[in-house]
Amino acid sequence: MVGYLTSLITLTSVFALFSLGLNVQWGMTGLINFGHVAFMTVGAYATVLLSSNGVPLVFAVLAGAALASVLGLIVGASTLRLREDYLAIVTIGVSEVVRLVALNEEWLTRGARGVASYPLPLEDLDATWPVRIGAIALWTLIFAYGLKKLWGWTRGWNRAERTADERNKSRPLRRLMVGAATVTTGIILYGVGIAALYGFNFRAGLMLLASTVLVAVYSQLERLGRSPWGRVLKAIREDEEVAKALGKNVFWYKLQSLMLGGAIAGIAGSFYAWQLTFINPDGFIPLMTFQAWTIVVLGGAGNNTGTLLGAAIFWAYTTLTRFGLPAILPLDDARLGAFRIMVIGLILIVVMMLRPQGMLGRKEELTLGR
Amino acid sequence: MIDLQLAQLIVNGIALGCIIALASVGLTLTCGILRLSNFAHGDLLTLGAYLALLGNSMGLNIWLAIALAIVGTVLISLVTEKLIWAPMRDRRADSTTLIIISIGLALFIRNGLIFIWGGGNQTYDLPVQPALDFWGLKVKTYSLVVVVLTAIATVGLHFLLQKTKIGKAMRAVADDTDLALVTGINVNRVVIWTWVIAAGLTALGGGMYGLLEAVRPNMGWFLILPMFASVILGGIGNPYGAIAGSLIVGLAQEVSTYWLPTEYKLAVALLMVIVVLLIRPQGLFKGTA
Repeated sequence: MVGYLTSLITLTSVFALFSLGLNVQWGMTGLINFGHVAFMTVGAYATVLLSSNGVPLVFAVLAGAALASVLGLIVGASTLRLREDYLAIVTIGVSEVVRLVALNEEWLTRGARGVASYPLPLEDLDATWPVRIGAIALWTLIFAYGLKKLWGWTRGWNRAERTADERNKSRPLRRLMVGAATVTTGIILYGVGIAALYGFNFRAGLMLLASTVLVAVYSQLERLGRSPWGRVLKAIREDEEVAKALGKNVFWYKLQSLMLGGAIAGIAGSFYAWQLTFINPDGFIPLMTFQAWTIVVLGGAGNNTGTLLGAAIFWAYTTLTRFGLPAILPLDDARLGAFRIMVIGLILIVVMMLRPQGMLGRKEELTLGR
Repeated sequence: MIDLQLAQLIVNGIALGCIIALASVGLTLTCGILRLSNFAHGDLLTLGAYLALLGNSMGLNIWLAIALAIVGTVLISLVTEKLIWAPMRDRRADSTTLIIISIGLALFIRNGLIFIWGGGNQTYDLPVQPALDFWGLKVKTYSLVVVVLTAIATVGLHFLLQKTKIGKAMRAVADDTDLALVTGINVNRVVIWTWVIAAGLTALGGGMYGLLEAVRPNMGWFLILPMFASVILGGIGNPYGAIAGSLIVGLAQEVSTYWLPTEYKLAVALLMVIVVLLIRPQGLFKGTA
């Protein structure tokens, strides 16, 4: 059970990281990237192949992220000056071509047979007591960071929200209930994490690494979102002409956003490969992209916290339907899988129609759907 | 004398181009008239193929089954219009919102088909026809049928757009919606007719595709890139451009396999999109949007 939940925490972190990359591109800048999985594929394969050839893991991950952002540069340079739907079309195509390359260039990627037994992080770490205690301390720190963020949110401390209108609508009771539910889940997960780290193994270490990177990326993105740079991105999302009139180089900002989001997805790809311990092109189908879209749209475009919440809900949904659905619907696996994706498609449609700002997005800020 | 293999690829390319043409005419009309870049359009094609399969498996003649599939696909597209697109248009939703909704719809339709028919390949129950032999060049009878039917559909579409009142109204809305409104054109009627034509032709394309290849849940999704390539190549909103674009894309995809591995067909379509976007983003012909 602990082992399963550990993997679940890792996967949630990986998907949250992956979706944070999309949130930079779509949520903050309004770029329709329908080929997000391409960045992940590049990151995953680069990390795995480089580290198999003796490159230290840290450098392999950084190289993967760099290659992913170069992909963003190439895609962006050819399409970002044009209508927004062209980017959607080109990115879909690019993600399929990247997958085809992974499938067919056997000399590089071993094709459909996939790559296995590559170096994993903390694999042969000697888990002495100081190491374990340090790991648990780091885990506690992450938990405390989460609590602090949640506390701020429950109290509505976020200064940006302090307009009269917001205060009236903030519904403190509902916030308190949601907060309490999140804290309960958090405490359970915290306990699971401690149990896993106490009996230290590779999976537990990966969980800790993935969560640490997630927290680091999340906090940096929050900072960037409030910075002048982030505000220009949001201005571009709302009205490109305004940003242009202010003398901003819109194309260059969009390109940076696409590259940054791509690099984050590339890092997510490294962790995804380590979690799977075996990768082949089947793991990088277009559906991955649209799962990230569901996470971002559900959580609220432009809201990093919402993306984390979306990832948690997505994995809760996946896990519950994986175990719960066969009990209700006596169908074969292909049909059950199809049913689960039908629901995802429906969520995308309904949320975009009825609540385009998602769960945590701020309607005042988005012109989306108006 | 060009070599036989190349000639064979050209024949295949024309057949593929015709199927893309049937679908991308619909897509270019939805882009141009409804201002909707519909990413569920490929899955509309798949829907047509599966509805034809349904009729065919119940013992109907394949042509009758395809005709019924066209009716069914049109009805379903009108349901999506009523439930999704009309309310969103009334709200003046921006194009990105519509694109994301269309992706959700695409996932829904495709997986709905898997839910009902399963994920495997299926085929129509067809009388076996020997391939025709032209001086060593093998042409599948059904390829010929596809080309002839596409030609008939194109002529019909041309007549409809140029001669009938609704066709003229559609072109007017594609050119300038507001101007069409003030001249008293009934835009709602135009919208309904656009869906009827777009979904009808696309479903016909799906049925034709099923004649040539296996019916499978991904068949339309994998055509979405060639379709958009044709639409962009032909100028968005220009149905004649879309047909020409489709033939170019279909031919390029097939003929490229003469030099490239077959697996990279899709990359050819992508490359064409990128080159057109870089050099001539307005398309080869005059578009409307």
